[in-house]
Amino acid sequence: MRIACPFCGARDSGEFTYLGDASPKRPDAPIDGGTAVEDQFYDYVYLRDNVAGLTREYWYHGGGCRSWLIAERSTTTHEFKSVTAAPGAGAAKAKQAGER
Amino acid sequence: MPDFVWSSQSPLKKALVPGRHGAGKAAPGVSLSHVSDIALVQVMTRRGRNADVAKAAKKLFGAEPPAALKISSGKVVTLVWSGPDQFLAFSELPQTAPSVEQQEQAFAGSASLSNQSDGRCQIRISGPNARDALAKMTSLDLHDTVFPVGSAATTSIDHTAVNFWREADDASGNPVYVALVFTSFSDTLWHLFVESSLEYGVEVAAIGAGH
Amino acid sequence: MEGSTRTVAGQSHRLGAGGQIDRNAPLNFSFDGKEMTGFAGDTLASALVANGVRLVGRSFKYHRPRGILTAGPEEPNALVELRTGARREANTRATTSELYDGLVAQSQNRWPSLRHDFMSVNQLASPIFVAGFYYKTFMWPAKFWEALYEPAIRRAAGLGKTAGIADPDHYDKAWAHCDVLVVGGGATGLAAALSAGRAGARVILCDDDSRLGGRLQSDGGVIDGVDALQWVQSAVAELSSLPNVRIMTRTAVFGVYDSGDFGALERVNDHVPQPPEHQVRQRLWRIAAKRSVVGAGAIERPIVFPGNDRPAVMMASAVRTYVNRFAALPGKRIALFVNNDDGWSTVDAIRRAGVEVAAVIDPRGKPATGDYSGIRVIQGVVADVGGSVDGVSSITVAGAGGNQKIDADCLAMSGGWNPNLALSCFHRGKPEWRDDIAAFVPANAPAGMTMAGAANGDLSLGACLRTGHAAGAMAAAEAGAKGKSGNAAKASDEAFSIKPLWHVQVKGKAFVDFQHDVTASDVKLAQREGYESVEHLKRYTTLGMATDQGKTSNVTGLAIMADAVGRSIADTGTTVYRPPYAPVAIGALAGHNRDENFHATRLTPSHHWAAERGAVFVDTGLWKRAQWFPLPGETDWLQSVTREVLAVRNGVGFCDVSTLGKVDVRGADAGTFLDRVYINAFSALGVGKARYGLMLREDGIVMDDGTTSRLAEDHYFMTTTTAKAGPVMQHLEFCRQVLWPELDVQLSSATDQWAQFSIAGPRTRDLLQALVDPSEDMSNEGFPFMGVRTVKLRGGMEARLFRISFSGEMAFEIAVPARYGEAMARNLMIAGEPFGVTPYGTEALGVMRIEKGHVAGPELNGTTTAGDLGLGKMASKKKDFIGRVLSQREALTAPDRQVVVGIRPVDKTRRLRSGAHIVPKGAVPGPETDQGYVTSVCFSPTQNQWLGLGLVSHGAERHGEIVKAHDPLRNETYDVELCSPVFYDPEGVRQRA
Repeated sequence: MRIACPFCGARDSGEFTYLGDASPKRPDAPIDGGTAVEDQFYDYVYLRDNVAGLTREYWYHGGGCRSWLIAERSTTTHEFKSVTAAPGAGAAKAKQAGER
Repeated sequence: MPDFVWSSQSPLKKALVPGRHGAGKAAPGVSLSHVSDIALVQVMTRRGRNADVAKAAKKLFGAEPPAALKISSGKVVTLVWSGPDQFLAFSELPQTAPSVEQQEQAFAGSASLSNQSDGRCQIRISGPNARDALAKMTSLDLHDTVFPVGSAATTSIDHTAVNFWREADDASGNPVYVALVFTSFSDTLWHLFVESSLEYGVEVAAIGAGH
Repeated sequence: MEGSTRTVAGQSHRLGAGGQIDRNAPLNFSFDGKEMTGFAGDTLASALVANGVRLVGRSFKYHRPRGILTAGPEEPNALVELRTGARREANTRATTSELYDGLVAQSQNRWPSLRHDFMSVNQLASPIFVAGFYYKTFMWPAKFWEALYEPAIRRAAGLGKTAGIADPDHYDKAWAHCDVLVVGGGATGLAAALSAGRAGARVILCDDDSRLGGRLQSDGGVIDGVDALQWVQSAVAELSSLPNVRIMTRTAVFGVYDSGDFGALERVNDHVPQPPEHQVRQRLWRIAAKRSVVGAGAIERPIVFPGNDRPAVMMASAVRTYVNRFAALPGKRIALFVNNDDGWSTVDAIRRAGVEVAAVIDPRGKPATGDYSGIRVIQGVVADVGGSVDGVSSITVAGAGGNQKIDADCLAMSGGWNPNLALSCFHRGKPEWRDDIAAFVPANAPAGMTMAGAANGDLSLGACLRTGHAAGAMAAAEAGAKGKSGNAAKASDEAFSIKPLWHVQVKGKAFVDFQHDVTASDVKLAQREGYESVEHLKRYTTLGMATDQGKTSNVTGLAIMADAVGRSIADTGTTVYRPPYAPVAIGALAGHNRDENFHATRLTPSHHWAAERGAVFVDTGLWKRAQWFPLPGETDWLQSVTREVLAVRNGVGFCDVSTLGKVDVRGADAGTFLDRVYINAFSALGVGKARYGLMLREDGIVMDDGTTSRLAEDHYFMTTTTAKAGPVMQHLEFCRQVLWPELDVQLSSATDQWAQFSIAGPRTRDLLQALVDPSEDMSNEGFPFMGVRTVKLRGGMEARLFRISFSGEMAFEIAVPARYGEAMARNLMIAGEPFGVTPYGTEALGVMRIEKGHVAGPELNGTTTAGDLGLGKMASKKKDFIGRVLSQREALTAPDRQVVVGIRPVDKTRRLRSGAHIVPKGAVPGPETDQGYVTSVCFSPTQNQWLGLGLVSHGAERHGEIVKAHDPLRNETYDVELCSPVFYDPEGVRQRA
């Protein structure tokens, strides 16, 4: 299988590593956040939808340009609808955490 | 206490055996060579500083930072695209190339540098069958229309990340490729290069040293 | 060759003229020890046919005598052990094995000989060997399964035997890329390759056969007004002249994978006794294609009737192949049993070879067109086949006028054609049923793939050429080619009509799957017992599960099932198709990656120096590391390791630690970045200082540890453990690119840039004084503990020096560019010579870290928290960091967690073993009493006993308690004392000296 890295073009899937669902966003974690923050992190780390169809997920082009990528992939056909760069790939200047 | 001798050592000192190897008696299908003691600095643009990096590169190397998937040739330094907003400043002539200190100065505040002169090992492969040998190692499409002279890629060989680019064709019109492999992997990958080439006949040059 | 019945000397069934063989190039070969001769151009199967050999193997279950059924890769019967010794290959299809001089083949699955096979008594017991036999018979008693049934079944199972010794040949793997991949080099594939190639597309044309042409080689015909073979020749010449077309013969495309990647196996040197020097036997190709055209043709299917497995009952198309392509006669009085028009074309082939047509049996009677004057035609079916192990002698035909017997020595059968649609189904495409050709055709091929010609159900030659041409042109255009494809070649559209006939319903053993001995009655039994779904039918009867994967049997089997259930074939459907289409040797899948090349290895900068000194190396991940350096006279690893430890503890030693992961962390926000990655703070670390850091996973479990130094305001130099260098780099990039893109930080792996050595022991400073330039202040004040700076060395070298200690001794780590690693090792030997300097390996390193209570991989094992490791106090309370929130969860902070503790056997002579479980004294060892386990052990030369670290519940409060170590693996239980994990220099005086 080939995956289209937005920087490198179509590359063999062996160059990429899959991480998982790209939807959960790391919560802000004030030092005194208490159990509310713990619950948010619990969701962030553990809770995932088991989607049959299109998902957004993180892939890492570690065997290539070392960019983190966000791919839209169908879990039923393996088809990649789109692959885009993570917000902080390269030198693009983001104004705040997690800005896309 | 006498002074110590600090002699440089190529990581291929054991693996590289100069001479003619493999099939055939006629002209070899593949030529392999290695230059030790290269100069190599990874230049990573700091956030939002692309313009400053371009200016500094032009001034220091006489070359623009390379476009994506390309190399950019300066006077003694080749700038090799190595990922978004980063490149490698590569030279086989470390004595004439700008020193790491000069580069640090030129890019101060605009790029983060990492000296990789010893972190990578240079391997050059050329000849009429170079592409056939490379087809066993890389998943890249090296066809002329896809990977013409001046193309660069970061890819994997035997699950190991490499920087790879195509130089000008040799005098016989055969393609010439350069790979930078991680130094610790170079012994094992050199064997892979040789073994992939044996069926075409391979000429291995003695180790050259950067000047 | 009309009427030529003159045969070649020694080859009783070879025609004197014709065929694509070279009679001037005779080749000697042997089958079951019998010497025979064939010709260049033969397959093993065609050479056997030419020599009159009919019995070639024994079937899997009943050991029934079997002959050659087909002439292609679909062959279920003619499997042989090819070659001898280490190159012997079992289950090799004789029909695809090209003959070479000296070929040696053996039949399989028979004892003591093919003609007299002891196991053929299984036939007498055949009523018990029915479908589901294994499931029904070997059910109980349960304990018999392991002791009795399984070994017995394993002995009886399988066909050929593997060589049992390492394959001496080489294999490799390669990538290829194209715009249009054309699978199959018959009429369809040639037409597709021509149209795509002319348009300028990059084309790869693959065919399993050694020569192109496909069925044209066997059936001939007229294309564009010339003989088909002549057309093939000119097509191949044109394709060869196009630089954008690559022809790959002997290459079977066996699978299609996501995004248009194909797997193909090139049999580079299977057609010679052994590969020429430096060449491979087979090469596995991964072909990345933008578009593909599959012209894989069709496979003729047998009819199921009693005796249909007797040697010399052969597919009609195979008879034509042997006669026309190989000039070999499967029989000299050949009968035909067909239900379709194509089968009738065999009549002409037999007549032209000058051999007698015994009769043509067709339930439809004589077809509407064609000249069959003088041919005996019987409207009916074959009800039985008479003969011996050597094949057919008579045929019983049931027709309107009752049964009649016909003398014949070969029966050619044709039940119709199944389009070879496997590639279209590998992505779960479901084929559709077409009544007019009584076959499944492709319905939803993977994106980018076009099925054409017979593989798509277009069975006439004219249609193959038209659809191939159109598919090639379309694929080329879709891939971006702009040129013109020219005109399609033309041939006539011969009529094809068929009346389905799957099974002749008379008494007798009638085979569906020849290789797995599945009969029509097995299929019906499966239906009666409730296994109606095709997937159940397959598992219950093993239909289609042999090495041929049911290429000649699957559709027939499900048709018989459909009939038994009373459903249509379309509603019954097919089983799921899965790659590989044809067998692929494991050696080809492994390619270069076997033996010492199983995976890439990494060498340290001092590797060759260490090898010169006779170091013993250990695999640490991909790295080869010096484990210890034995001296002459040392006979035991422990002896060497103990010497190395004592040399360090009492003098000075050094160890190559270049394998530790190293990362340049740079940028304006590098400090903030590290504050968020590590549990402790780094932004406040002074330039020129090092600090031990611990990082967690987001779930609160420890990820990795290491020392990170600040080399400049915007430059940190991180080290990681050897094992986690890659994962940590990936994690850091994730943090940088995904979590905190607002931070200005850049990362570069510097692991390979530096040769780094740990120098340890009380004489370390003495050694360094000799090594560094006299201007360097190496005093405790001038270079304090956890200090870092660049120093000048004697002889004009600069090095980074870190005052950090893993061993608990006064220690430094010194780093120089990797090219000077070997020089550094040699110079350390020179500089340390007066102080008895000793190189040490990873074992001594491990002993010293255990003596000192430093945690490593066995403790950072993916279950432990910072608190478990005794490092909980490091965690900053003033900042957020990865893993902070979840590390505070109740379960991860529970007081009964297993924490790091020292462990020493009460009996000081006893050896402690890793993995032993800790239970309270007096308790019965078991899951209820288990309190933890031993993680790391060593023989400590300074404590003069075995000791270790462990993870034990409440461990920190139990120092001094005697507990039991229980090792069920070695069946040992012994008393140990829990103690402080720091066995050596607990005050830490030595490392700060």
